[in-house]
Amino acid sequence: MALINVAAREIHCKVVYYGPGMGGKTSNLQHIHNRAPDGTKKGKLLSIETETERTLFFDFLPLDLGKVRGFDTHFHLYTVPGQGLYDRTRVAVLNGADGVVFVADSQVQKLQENLASLKELAMNITRQNKKFQDFPVVLQYNKRDIQPVYEEQVLPDGTRRRRQVAGALPVAVLDKYINPKMQWQRFEAVAMRGDGVFETLRAISKLVISKL
Amino acid sequence: MDPQLTSLIVPTEEVMQIEECLMHLVEDTGGSHALLLDKSGQVITSQGDGNQDITALGALIAGTFASSREVAKLLREKDFRMLFQQGVRENIFIALIEEQWILCIIFNKGTHIGLVKVLTKKATDELASVLDRVRHQHKQRDEVLGSSFRTSMEDTIDLLFRD
Ligand SMILES: Nc1nc2c(ncn2[C@@H]2O[C@H](COP(=O)(O)OP(=O)(O)OP(=O)(O)O)[C@@H](O)[C@H]2O)c(=O)[nH]1
Ligand SMILES: [Mg+2]
Repeated sequence: MALINVAAREIHCKVVYYGPGMGGKTSNLQHIHNRAPDGTKKGKLLSIETETERTLFFDFLPLDLGKVRGFDTHFHLYTVPGQGLYDRTRVAVLNGADGVVFVADSQVQKLQENLASLKELAMNITRQNKKFQDFPVVLQYNKRDIQPVYEEQVLPDGTRRRRQVAGALPVAVLDKYINPKMQWQRFEAVAMRGDGVFETLRAISKLVISKL
Repeated sequence: MDPQLTSLIVPTEEVMQIEECLMHLVEDTGGSHALLLDKSGQVITSQGDGNQDITALGALIAGTFASSREVAKLLREKDFRMLFQQGVRENIFIALIEEQWILCIIFNKGTHIGLVKVLTKKATDELASVLDRVRHQHKQRDEVLGSSFRTSMEDTIDLLFRD
């Protein structure tokens, strides 16, 4: 829940990056931290991770947008640890979030993990007594840079079929499974290089503000 | 409280009452720092000396508390409200206020934990009544979050967040 301190004239909002392990959540925050735009003040990027640089608890990046109508506006960005093992930790980090960026891994072999993670997110938001349909969510289809690999299959009746076995799925296919009703804005990204990262951040920030 | 309510507005008067309450807590316990956080990790206000990174401290304490709470749930503990971290130099005592706020006091070896518990209990009761007033005021919402504020905010975001 956003916090507005009238005496100090401050507004604080919490945005959480959610999604399957290795999807690129931490990469989003790293890019925002490295390229924080002029006019914003960024704090330190705090990462609690394992020895292999997987998120263990969370990453945290406070971003100060400066004054808006006299109010100092702060966005607190968090990532959850995506690995299955850490589901209770995700509940803890998600506590009190004002909005979520769901970072999906576009790779064909990750489709099931994306869907499982999205389902878990819906459950965790509902457990906070919030309606998931009304909750601010923006989708990011990450890893768009990974080239698709196809395999030719010969079916028993002799017909040939081309099947994608690796690489990023087409956006239309991801939409069909992850965003079937197109209820969420979605953005393509290559978080490692920063493509689409600020576009996603812009969309979730505006969505959160519109729901205050 | 309405669970769909998306922001908590703390008016000036209530912030001052909170600050006073935290100040007393620091003085009476001989602690070095007292913080009041929203359970999402945002610092409402803090009292005391030291040049810690308060923002990061808030995020970590709220995370630790939420995580310990999940541990308690796994152990079928029903009403988990307090956490004590014992350090070599500094100790931290954390208490939940009405499922919404987290009170945190940092103190050293010189202070007895029993005293901290008693005084924290008193402070949480006081803060709970402040929280109750904060929840039931709606006037300031429209004053702060008018449509012109939202428009300015959107313009700022458009200006700042570009690839
Ligand atoms: N090819 C490619 N690799 C990426 C992209 N974004 C991130 N990666 C890589 O994917 C790996 C995992 O990225 P992270 O940002 O750590 O993923 P995460 O979602 O934080 O993972 P967890 O902390 O385990 O949940 C890293 O090796 C990144 O460099 C991308 O757009 N394309
Ligand atoms: Mg990570």
